[in-house]
Amino acid sequence: MFRRPMPTRLRSALVVAAAFPLLVGLAACAPAAEAEDAVDYSALSHDELVELATEEGEVSVYAFTSRIATVEEAFEAEYPGIDVVATDISSTELITRLASEHAAGSATADVAYVSDAPVVVTELLADGVLEAYLPPRMEDVLPAEYQTPLVANRLSTKVLMYNEEAYPDGSPVSNLWELTEAEWAGKVVLVDPNVRGDYLDLVTEMSLRADDMAAAYEEHFGTPIELADGVEDAGLQFVSDLYANDAVLVDDTDTVNAAIGALGQSAPPVGFTSYSDRRDNEDEGWALQVASGVAPSPGIVFPAMLGLTANAENPAAARLLIDFMMGDDTETGGAGFEPFYVAGDYPTRTDVVAPEDALPLEELAAWIIDAEASAERRDAVADFLLTIQ
Amino acid sequence: MRRVSAGIRRPTTWLAVAVLAVLVVLVALPLQGLVAATLRPDAIGSWTDVLASPLSANLFWEPLRNSLVVGLATGLIASLLGAFLAWVVVMSDVPGRRVIGVLATIPFALPSFAIALAWESVFRNERLGGNPGVLASLGIAVPDILSWGMVPITLTLVAHYYSLSFVVVAAALSNVGGDLLAAAELTGASRMRIAGRIALPVVAPAILSGFLLAFAEGVSNFAVPALLGLPVRFQTLSTRLYGSISTGDTERGYVLSILLVVIAALVLWVGNRFTAGKSFATITGKSSRPRRANTGPWKWVLFALSVALVTATTIVPGIVLAVSTVLRRTNSFEAGLTLHYWIGESDPSIAQGMRGVLRDPIALDALVSTVALGFAVALGATLVGLVGAYVVGRLKRARVVGGSISLLSYVPFLIPGIAFGAAFIAQFGAPIGPLPSLYGTFAILVIAGIAASLPFAFQTSRSALGQVSGDLEEAAVIAGAGTARRLRRIVFPLASRGIVSGGILVFVTMVRDLSLVVLLVTPATPLLSVMTYRYASEGFTQSANAITLVIAIVSVAATLLARRLQGAGQPWSNA
Repeated sequence: MFRRPMPTRLRSALVVAAAFPLLVGLAACAPAAEAEDAVDYSALSHDELVELATEEGEVSVYAFTSRIATVEEAFEAEYPGIDVVATDISSTELITRLASEHAAGSATADVAYVSDAPVVVTELLADGVLEAYLPPRMEDVLPAEYQTPLVANRLSTKVLMYNEEAYPDGSPVSNLWELTEAEWAGKVVLVDPNVRGDYLDLVTEMSLRADDMAAAYEEHFGTPIELADGVEDAGLQFVSDLYANDAVLVDDTDTVNAAIGALGQSAPPVGFTSYSDRRDNEDEGWALQVASGVAPSPGIVFPAMLGLTANAENPAAARLLIDFMMGDDTETGGAGFEPFYVAGDYPTRTDVVAPEDALPLEELAAWIIDAEASAERRDAVADFLLTIQ
Repeated sequence: MRRVSAGIRRPTTWLAVAVLAVLVVLVALPLQGLVAATLRPDAIGSWTDVLASPLSANLFWEPLRNSLVVGLATGLIASLLGAFLAWVVVMSDVPGRRVIGVLATIPFALPSFAIALAWESVFRNERLGGNPGVLASLGIAVPDILSWGMVPITLTLVAHYYSLSFVVVAAALSNVGGDLLAAAELTGASRMRIAGRIALPVVAPAILSGFLLAFAEGVSNFAVPALLGLPVRFQTLSTRLYGSISTGDTERGYVLSILLVVIAALVLWVGNRFTAGKSFATITGKSSRPRRANTGPWKWVLFALSVALVTATTIVPGIVLAVSTVLRRTNSFEAGLTLHYWIGESDPSIAQGMRGVLRDPIALDALVSTVALGFAVALGATLVGLVGAYVVGRLKRARVVGGSISLLSYVPFLIPGIAFGAAFIAQFGAPIGPLPSLYGTFAILVIAGIAASLPFAFQTSRSALGQVSGDLEEAAVIAGAGTARRLRRIVFPLASRGIVSGGILVFVTMVRDLSLVVLLVTPATPLLSVMTYRYASEGFTQSANAITLVIAIVSVAATLLARRLQGAGQPWSNA
């Protein structure tokens, strides 16, 4: 259903295709009407955008995080005339819901705040469900890779972490390939990549970075890697060896955190999880720490993205909300970015200083995923994983 | 007599048409959407991927075997335990049976993960690291087979779903008149033999209904196999299905769910063969009070068994859930207890400043709309299920119609909530002719809820109606009563115990189910189940569990209230 959800979807595509030349023709005949409809939002000043948005008076957003509630409060405080209607649902459901609503032509959100970038590329952008909007003031402060395919306001991680109480001298692992050896048999925990998309992205990235994985292999074992039959690259060979070394798969990230992080363990496992969960160490009685410096990379960094829905009902307010969530010009990004200003997550803006208490992004040296390349590769990776269970 | 049966049959045909129409809109169309999505040119390959490719073994066949074993074992053991407890509560003289009867209905109101968590807190071994369970921390080596995989998954699901069987069978047993048992006593049969040879067989349809419900719930449950199965790579169709959808390979997930529907259809067909062609009518109009078996010295053995069962499945998981909401740290006693997650003001040092759930401004709204939704869905689903079951029972010759109604009323569990939701958006998302779009309204939640909970309503009604003798209706036809009048004055009142039980099950699933409504809900209709998701997704386990506990309390309160309203006829009150 993600890909081609309902019979109606094809039909509506045909209708649009048939109607498009007609619309263009009509538009050419009626320049006055067109001028009224097509506002060039990027050309508007901020005050003009606020004025239009206030006339609309409302903006609806679907978000994959409940922190959207904090954004709602902050936005309404900043722009009292505009009501934010926020719905938080998981990324998977959000994507299905947007696609289904688009196909049915029903009421839908104006803005989507969504993770799962590769799925967004194939399921939403390819079908025109979501459109990009880059707030003009972001052009200079946002690196190009975070401007497309949709604008990203922050980065999250899935990286190798360990228990710093049990291993006070730093990461017990310095090369990912160590995890395939007897010492770590049954002691590597991760969420099943066939169950959660962000972990599939992690494995996909290892495959895409096969050359780095091969180099790390040679560095560790001293001999060039030899691929087993049916294994396409060094990244997949690593995962295959990891599974064969009795890696423990679980169903969610908090289970990984509790398994590797819990205090009082003598020989705890290591595992892949979110760097930002380290902030819960004191609260939860964990000793999570990131395995920085592990070769070739501790894991991945991936974007949370903001998009406009096609034919958004409140186009100005939608753009204003995206603009707001990109933060202001202060060092911490201000009220619009505050709920996401968390150690272990990273602002995408170059002029916002990453929170203290976490390694700078460059030192973390995690791979930054490329949503489009990932989208192309991940189905094959998911299939490969099914063969090595 | 022919005129009499025709008099019953003709209006029934109209009822059949009406029920089928409802089922087509609510179940068949979403199902057809599911099939259509897998038949597109770019999706059709999913069928070969699943059934005949190098992936099939791990994607389908192995999970299929696991699902069948878990589902059948869950169905069988749950039916056995449920029927046993129902007999103890309704037909025996075991002390404390009223309390046992109330406790036995609670496991279904608890979320299945709470029971899995209770299992883990005792049996978790070193496989995962982290905090070990009680046994392991006492130095007892727990083998993987007890900690993870098939055994704990099945037992956890049994602990959750045996109460389905209990509810249905208890309702049926309380309709077994004392005359049947007295007649058997006259033949000199021993009391235990009467229980085994007479009481149990006459409630066979109820046992079958309980089995079918537990089987379908067992194979479609995701939380339990994910929690207890993945660490040893024990995959079921539900984990594969969920995984495919959540990693973006939706069509493959849909193919799996269609195959699950086919398997369920086979199980339903085989199950129905067992009861086909036999009459189980025990309500014949000749009223007689139920009798209790005198169990003599066995009384205390039965008492101990029953108490152990409800303690392990209700009290322990209930306590685990309740305690988890007052632990300062998730699943750990080390940092002490606190009521912060219930009533605390926002404190930046705890849970990132999250305030207690009872201070959440939408908590009360959510409670009200959740109860309203549960009530509306229970009414609607019961009505559809009841009429459907009546039609199937009375039109025995119309096999195709009966079979279609039975099947469509059975499979909604097996259609993933996300697919159901998407189908409803496709159907009701835009205005239909002159009618305004239902999308974003309370009504669409109710409609979707009815679709999803039909199996409870239909199976319980079928079992209850099967006990009402056709003679009663024929007598009423001769007396000149129309269909509506017969249903209202004779059939429904006599089957009311079973029907109300079904309504309660529907209510309970509806107040706690998230998967279906999450695609349709809007901020204007806050629901408790959506609140638990909101807390859980940010890792605020205590807050999420607190709302879950509220849901369980609402469910139990509704159950008790319904029993009270039902009056003195309830199975566990005529002590």
